[in-house]
Amino acid sequence: MDKLAKQLRDDARQIDCAISEELDDRINASLQGITPQAAHEPRAVSRPAWFWWASSLTGVAAAVAVILIVNLQAPEPQPVAAERAVTPLVLPAIEWHTEAAVLTSPLEEEIENLQSDLKKAEEAVKQDIDRLF
Amino acid sequence: MSSEATLIEAARQGSVPAFTALVRSYREGLFRFLLTRASSYADAEDALQDTLINAYRYLHSYDSRWRFSTWLYRIAINNVAKLRPANTVEFTDLRDEGNDPLAFCIAASDRENLWQCARRQLSDEVYTAMWLRYVEDMSVRDIATVLERSVSWTKVNLMRGRKILDAELGKDATDDESKAYG
Repeated sequence: MDKLAKQLRDDARQIDCAISEELDDRINASLQGITPQAAHEPRAVSRPAWFWWASSLTGVAAAVAVILIVNLQAPEPQPVAAERAVTPLVLPAIEWHTEAAVLTSPLEEEIENLQSDLKKAEEAVKQDIDRLF
Repeated sequence: MSSEATLIEAARQGSVPAFTALVRSYREGLFRFLLTRASSYADAEDALQDTLINAYRYLHSYDSRWRFSTWLYRIAINNVAKLRPANTVEFTDLRDEGNDPLAFCIAASDRENLWQCARRQLSDEVYTAMWLRYVEDMSVRDIATVLERSVSWTKVNLMRGRKILDAELGKDATDDESKAYG
């Protein structure tokens, strides 16, 4: 057993946990007035053998009745769908005003420019904050 | 059939003496634990009474695959939680020496009891895990069952609890040394 475990055990033993007679009597009196609950076992429901035969026959009869009803009904006239006139799809012509992107300088230079812009913006924000507070 | 199993069976049939004999060996340990967790001595007594009453009433739900003490502790922890709603008694209030049942029950010592320190430093769950492990000698699996946590959670938090208390123990040792050598 390591030092901590031993210390924890020893310190727990120092806690005085004597149960008073009064508490003992109180617990016993409470227990006398209680009936332990019985376990709830699932009850087996027994049904007579004829029940299964009757339910099976009823099921078969219902299935036969449904099949007969569905087959003996006269077929309904099918609705004739109206033919839709096919109109040619005309797309409006769009005039695009675009310019081809021209890379004026190498990418590294672009990044440097953007970073210096960002720094300037940061400084501007800092100055604003200083001015406000 | 073991004597405990015989007593459980008799108690399930409504025998109070059998139940009393069954819980006799667990009562003091439970009460000691409850004293460290309740906000007053009276609360700890009430929690013990409620725990034993609930155990007797619902003994049919006890699963013999688990240790009986594991099941009892699960009930006790539920009762402590009911007795000390978070909005009525703050954990920090327990440090008030006048109200603290733990301080009241600890024999006078020249150094602080580690469980007092544990209660101050650890969360309720980690405290309980440490107690079950080092006082009740419960397995990690049983502790996880009592706390309704995973085994890995229990292991990690026992480790954390140990680390914190180890540091406290080291601090105490250093204090003692400095006192001894002036």
